[in-house]
Amino acid sequence: MKRQVVNAVLVLGIVLVSISLVGSLGELRLPGNHIGYRPEQPIAFSHRVHGGELAIPCLYCHSGAENSRTAGLPSASMCMNCHKFVTATLGAVREEERLAEEQDRAPETVVSTELQKLYDALGLDETLAVDPTKTPQPIEWMRVHKVPDFVAFDHRPHIAAKVACQNCHGPVERMDRLRQFSSLGMGWCVDCHRETGTKRRAGMPVSAPLDCATCHY
Amino acid sequence: MSRNDDKQYRRSPEESGHDAVEPVSGIVAPVDRRRFMQLAGFAVGSAALAGCSRGVEHGVMPYLIRPEEVTPGKPYWYASVCGGCAAGCGILAKARDGRPIKLEGNADHPVSRGGLCAIGQASVLGLYDSRSLRAPLRGAVASDWETIDGKIGATLDEVRAGGGRVRFLTDSVTGPVEQERIGAFLSRFDDGKHVTYDPISVSAIVDAHRDTHNLDAIPGYRFERAEVIVSVGADFLGGWISPVEHTAAYRSGRRLDGPDWAFSHHVQLESRLSLTGSNADRRIAIPAGSDAPIIGHLAERIAGLAGSSTPWGTLPPCPLPDDTIAGLALRLWSAPRGRTLVLCGLNDPQVQVLVNYVNELLGNYGSTSTETTLDVESVSMQRRGNDAELHTLLEELDSGTIDALFVRGVNPLYDLPGGERLIDALTRVKLVVSFTDHPDETSMHAGFVCPEPHFLASWGDSEPIAGVVSVRQPTIRPIGSTRPLLESLAIWSGQPMSAYEIVRDYWRRNIFERRLNSATFEDFWNRTLHDGFARVRRVVPGGFGATTKLSGVAIMAPERWSAPANDRFALDLYPAPGLLDGRHAHNAWLYELPDPITKTVWDNFASISSLAAEAAGLVTGDVARIAAPDSRDGFVELPVLVQPGQDDATISISLGYGRLGTDRFADVGPKWLEGHPTIDAGETIGVSAAPLLRWVNRTLSFAGRHVQMEKTGLRHQLTTTQKHHTLEIPRRLSMSGETHRAIVQETDLAAWRADPHSGGHAHHDLATLWSEFPRQKHHWGLAIDLSACTGCSACVIACQAENNIPVVGKDEVQRVREMHWMRIDRYYSGDDADIDVVHMPMMCQHCDRAPCETVCPVQATVQSSEGLNQQVYNRCIGTRYCANNCPYKVRRFNWFDYPRDDRLQNLALNPDVTVRSRGVMEKCSLCVQRIQDAKADSKTTGRELQDGDIQPACVQSCPAGAIVFGDMNDEESRLSHLKHDPRHYTVLAELGVKPTVGYLTLVRNREET
Repeated sequence: MKRQVVNAVLVLGIVLVSISLVGSLGELRLPGNHIGYRPEQPIAFSHRVHGGELAIPCLYCHSGAENSRTAGLPSASMCMNCHKFVTATLGAVREEERLAEEQDRAPETVVSTELQKLYDALGLDETLAVDPTKTPQPIEWMRVHKVPDFVAFDHRPHIAAKVACQNCHGPVERMDRLRQFSSLGMGWCVDCHRETGTKRRAGMPVSAPLDCATCHY
Repeated sequence: MSRNDDKQYRRSPEESGHDAVEPVSGIVAPVDRRRFMQLAGFAVGSAALAGCSRGVEHGVMPYLIRPEEVTPGKPYWYASVCGGCAAGCGILAKARDGRPIKLEGNADHPVSRGGLCAIGQASVLGLYDSRSLRAPLRGAVASDWETIDGKIGATLDEVRAGGGRVRFLTDSVTGPVEQERIGAFLSRFDDGKHVTYDPISVSAIVDAHRDTHNLDAIPGYRFERAEVIVSVGADFLGGWISPVEHTAAYRSGRRLDGPDWAFSHHVQLESRLSLTGSNADRRIAIPAGSDAPIIGHLAERIAGLAGSSTPWGTLPPCPLPDDTIAGLALRLWSAPRGRTLVLCGLNDPQVQVLVNYVNELLGNYGSTSTETTLDVESVSMQRRGNDAELHTLLEELDSGTIDALFVRGVNPLYDLPGGERLIDALTRVKLVVSFTDHPDETSMHAGFVCPEPHFLASWGDSEPIAGVVSVRQPTIRPIGSTRPLLESLAIWSGQPMSAYEIVRDYWRRNIFERRLNSATFEDFWNRTLHDGFARVRRVVPGGFGATTKLSGVAIMAPERWSAPANDRFALDLYPAPGLLDGRHAHNAWLYELPDPITKTVWDNFASISSLAAEAAGLVTGDVARIAAPDSRDGFVELPVLVQPGQDDATISISLGYGRLGTDRFADVGPKWLEGHPTIDAGETIGVSAAPLLRWVNRTLSFAGRHVQMEKTGLRHQLTTTQKHHTLEIPRRLSMSGETHRAIVQETDLAAWRADPHSGGHAHHDLATLWSEFPRQKHHWGLAIDLSACTGCSACVIACQAENNIPVVGKDEVQRVREMHWMRIDRYYSGDDADIDVVHMPMMCQHCDRAPCETVCPVQATVQSSEGLNQQVYNRCIGTRYCANNCPYKVRRFNWFDYPRDDRLQNLALNPDVTVRSRGVMEKCSLCVQRIQDAKADSKTTGRELQDGDIQPACVQSCPAGAIVFGDMNDEESRLSHLKHDPRHYTVLAELGVKPTVGYLTLVRNREET
């Protein structure tokens, strides 16, 4: 009787745990290895469109990588530099123009769904002016590349050493939804530092230190 | 189920039969232990699978609209004015993510000159105080501004209509705007008066100069020009008027760099061992309050040498031997005219007039352009207090003739004696308004409390020296619903304006016209905001010109002074350099800072000499009752501390303790089984000595009162750090019986001139088994000049602020677990009568052959290629072997997860430095975060690092510039020059650990001219 109860509990346990794990099956991997992590973002921003098709330099938006210890994400005001004028894809705008022509009316402003989320976050009305009745809500992006808190990673020496962004972040300009390309583990960092040493990069000497305090302080 | 359950086991043959252990009835375990572990292991294992995903999702929220000048992750700096005391040091406030996290002295500012004292460094913590008032109070009840403005406005109208008397009681207001606005507010009443007083009053100096030199201010003290300084009880490096400024100036008159070296001779005559006295070349103990006859005799001697005669007859006898005074007089007279300085710390106008007379005889008075030590043009506006006016106000309050009283920046019910009477007097005032930001002794009896924001969140201005003006600008929005004084006054005057507009308007009308350059007001304003100060045309207080020659005021002979009777003592009340007058009662960093002389934390005490202690049968820690026989209420009970160098007839007690509200620190620090609270229930930190203050001729008197001391039989443990982390050899471990190690090197100026290596201990270049570490471009190091370090401990707090060092509480400090990375070791030498003190800042020496590195089992501490000894927190497993091996005992272990529950206070944390958790070792990192930041910037901009680009927190904060950081591989750097200085040595060099932190031999000027 006892054995049956125990067995029943075990089987139930396995079933419940499996059910709870199904959701994260696609993400099961060894602890610490997050290659391929591809979270869904609140706004479906496409690096392929912006960095690939439009060839906007990485540092235009991610200027923090060059200037400060934290690379950061661009503020919504950075997006508005262009999206004050660009409210939808060219195709959608042309389509609207064509329809307006057909229906003999003035073309309306087309706003794509994703960009509408941006304008809502900034609390803008249809004319893209600040709407005092709306409350601006900062956009909570899902962070893809994260090192543990005890690592103080600084982009600046890497950019100064002309390490290409794609070296560590992979072919971002081909990613619609950003995913983590490298493991970002300490072994992976140290391997590159060992290889690089004091080699010349793009015509200048670099020092890739192997001191612990380079990152851990 | 196992078969063993059926057997009954016995522990001994006696347990049998009915004595056998019976199973507890009714409860039968369904699962035995082994089975439970198997099931649990399975459950945990399967649950662990669930952990094999990304885990916690991390969201990041950038700005919606990023301010142009802000780069997230990069600090931005505001030039402002420190509000820790009235000295008005210019500061640069480092702000990150919209809040200030570190204050640094503004290197260009004439007052701070780059340095900032311990109190200034600690004041950033005061901004994030969760116990600050967040809303105005009506009585004791929180209210809102509208209601309060309505009520106050109504009462003020009544008072005005009735021709009533209004008094504004403040501390020294150095800001011209506030001074003017308070005056304007008061002018709307028939009898409005602004009364200023300093809780640590030096109004006697101002009073004296008004008489002698037509000067309604304190003259500028130019220590850098002095060749001989004689200070009678003036603690000018500690808490007297403007310590940062004075320390920097004092230091520039005492430097041994290069061929044009200069080294003043400093004699300190004092009754207790003060910070200044510990740095003096010669120290003479005098009873408290005996300044008058000493100055009188000195004046007579100097007058004799000058060939003139003193305007009085015979003098009362002098407590010092004749030849001492004669020697001092001769020394002063032999120095060039105008290059000596005589100071006195006694708050007695008559004595200060005498001091002025002595300085006059020595030719020390002059203007800014002359090379004299006293400047009557660029005068100090840092203390504007007037004791006589305060006395008048107290009389008026007593007589019940005051209708409205506004109290700001002072705490009269705490600062002044006779508190009870004052409480009674306040009840007869129609309107009492306090502007304090914490409930204090005075605000408890105020009708309204209108809290002001912290100085880091306020607009204001400052003119600490005549002709030097600064704007105080906020670095953060005010926290809570507080309102600056300027705005409150504007609303109550019927013309609401923001503080920003008020300051700008005043500057446009009054300061701009004094400019020396700048075409437009906007240009002037922006430039001043950027630079942190502006030089403008001087407007000397009083309006009329000060004379550099003594006016024909009658110099009176000093009053008769009598030594205290055999069973009595002379009392000396003083401000502790780390706490001043009690306004920082809510700052835990300052309480935990070891007092520079006694190294006590979290307490005050009564210092007595060892002779006096013996005679009274007291030891350190015995609670004594010190009472003034001439008054019923004047008594305090506090623990006694035997202090070397203390005058035998003097008891010294620090002011600023025993403040209301300090019971909040009862539980500061970790809570664990054997922990004791810092203070007991119902107690405060320390005891207030204000009941022993007294008025003498309408002036607050801090020294000289005759008191008696009685044992109470109680004991109170005083926690001092003086024996902590000692570098001496414990007696039981010493092979030769010798415990002393040559840690400090001292020499005399004459010996140094003869041989720059004097004072050095010869040691051999030791052979070593270790090979050299691979080195990169830089080899960082430090050099600390022991002649320059005054022991002020600004570096200790600067390090605490920069590196997120926790506060541990009195009990943990008692267990030698204080967490300060930087400590100042204070060594005594000589006997009580002639005591010498050395202050030695000690932090991780970053040994090139570090004994801590070899013993770490996990290599959590390793040598970097740039000479740093690195501590990797995430690798450390808490063996503590490294701390054991460190000969300098500079490593600190996190015994606990120190409380970080106060989320507002956590805003003060530096985001660039890890907050260490329990079980991890930490130590000075030479501010590696600053080094890494500077290196990364230099790589980005392509600009090579220059000497002086990187300054660790301690280096940056030192008012005397005693610590120098640099690259030893750079032959041109200042550090390299110091490393090659013959005075340079390393502590415990005989151990062969090759520290990169070096010290420069302490030199004292004991030359007989």
